[in-house]
Amino acid sequence: METTTGKVKYVFSAIFVLISHLAMLTNMFYNGNCDPSNMNKFVILAITVIGLDILYFIAMLFFKQSTYTIDFMLIFILNISLIFQSSFGGISLSVKHLVTCIASLISCRLGFILCRNHKWIQAKKKAFYIATGIIMLCILTLTGSRSMWIDLGFFTIQPSEFLKPAFILVCTTYILEQQNKISVWKFNIVPENLICTGFIILICGLQWWCRDLGSLPTFVAIYLCGLCARLCYPKAKLSKKMIITGIASLAVLAITAIILAPPYVKSRLFVDIWNDTSGDGYQQSQALIAIANGGWFGKGAGNGDLHNIFAYETDLVFASICEEWGLFFAIMVVCAILIMLASPLVNPPRSYFHATLATGVCSAFVVQMALNIFGSCNMIPFTGVTVPFISQGGSSMVTCGFMMGMLIAGQSPVFKNPTNNKKKKVKSK
Amino acid sequence: METGNLILCVITAMILDISALVLILSTYFEKLDGKKRWKKIGNDMELVEPGITYALESDEVLIGRHGSVDIRLPDLSVSRYHAIMTVCNGIWTIQALNPKAPILVNGQRISKTKLKEYDVIQIGTYKLQIRKRRRQNGNNNR
Repeated sequence: METTTGKVKYVFSAIFVLISHLAMLTNMFYNGNCDPSNMNKFVILAITVIGLDILYFIAMLFFKQSTYTIDFMLIFILNISLIFQSSFGGISLSVKHLVTCIASLISCRLGFILCRNHKWIQAKKKAFYIATGIIMLCILTLTGSRSMWIDLGFFTIQPSEFLKPAFILVCTTYILEQQNKISVWKFNIVPENLICTGFIILICGLQWWCRDLGSLPTFVAIYLCGLCARLCYPKAKLSKKMIITGIASLAVLAITAIILAPPYVKSRLFVDIWNDTSGDGYQQSQALIAIANGGWFGKGAGNGDLHNIFAYETDLVFASICEEWGLFFAIMVVCAILIMLASPLVNPPRSYFHATLATGVCSAFVVQMALNIFGSCNMIPFTGVTVPFISQGGSSMVTCGFMMGMLIAGQSPVFKNPTNNKKKKVKSK
Repeated sequence: METGNLILCVITAMILDISALVLILSTYFEKLDGKKRWKKIGNDMELVEPGITYALESDEVLIGRHGSVDIRLPDLSVSRYHAIMTVCNGIWTIQALNPKAPILVNGQRISKTKLKEYDVIQIGTYKLQIRKRRRQNGNNNR
């Protein structure tokens, strides 16, 4: 926060974030299920939300960054999600979601610190290949077709979520790496692109084996966006042949995947939810009824009925928000997330590495949101993917925070050579 | 829903909208600050060819004959992807991408070197000079 004008705009941002949370709490107080018996719970929630806002604003002062808007957007969205999660089925602070929100903010800082110096991180590319390999090995050995979670006693983790930021880092590249080509038969191939393609094939196989097909489109989107960023740099023209070949191969892959899909996936693809409201179409039909019941401004916080349905706070979170807060607020939150993701378009990254990083992060978030929201609205089959920052779930929140840290790193990069401490010590001796 | 409650909902939604708008505006102001910051990071340098000025606006600037590069020098003496310029600690470095396509800096053939102000870079038949950015005086900027 260097200049006076800079400080003023951030003071305004902080004030408006606080005011918007206060407005939501006021709305909850008057329109929600806030009886005198619930007053203590409401006061605790209000103090927590405002306290988290203020604490994060103070914490931001300790991090020297070029831009802070994504930070403000992040706390804006996280506290809105905390208010939503604390209202489902009755007003009471969702301690689990509060803890995961704090974990998400911490992992955001870690992501920022890790990725801000692209020269350093480029030198560590092999370490990311190894890390991705280890996560894949964990998925293969510790989870599987029976369960996607690892039970650690007091909490469970979903390793496939951690694969997302690792794969985004694998998909990042820089121009010099793209110029390093080897000649195979008649083609000039970039080895780094081959490795990236190898990883996506392995991930697809792994997700298929684990029957975690819901997150498969997210990985494919990250890979395709990474590939496009490589092909299109800088402003390269794609020939019609290339575009047609790409679309045709994607269509062939999609058709093959549908033919080879397990029976339970096929049944979900072609299910008529209104003819099977107690079977495969149960969750989606209930979600649609809840969205319709909510209308534009909802039934009021804590007055919904969707909390009786399984996964109301994770997979059905969009429908839960629509029911209690209304379609208008649900769409606004989605727009807020999209605005946060669009900030690299306004303030573009100055390095190719950060540009590919931002592309990966944005594609992952957009596809995840689309899968959840369209799934809730019965436009596509139900996938069980979370809405970033809004759905409950520790692994998802932590990885989303980390990915947002990557995006912030692209906005506040460091253009310095990594310091070599060993050399310094030798020189001092 | 009662009218009073509906009005409250609308006011809340409007406040959220205004907050989002303030944050968007803040991003826009950050963009303006970002340009100044980049001048500091990139040491406010530019490449100059007689009559044409090339801005150095990102960390990696690709120079070559190909239509997709950042600085295009359309001549057969220049390779499609000839050289790359990078900035680090405020110092620009130039590196040859093709061993068969030479780069001369101040008349000496190099594969990678740090650049100082007023160094002359020869790529094919083109001679470019690196210097501090000057106020526009009618020259073409690219």
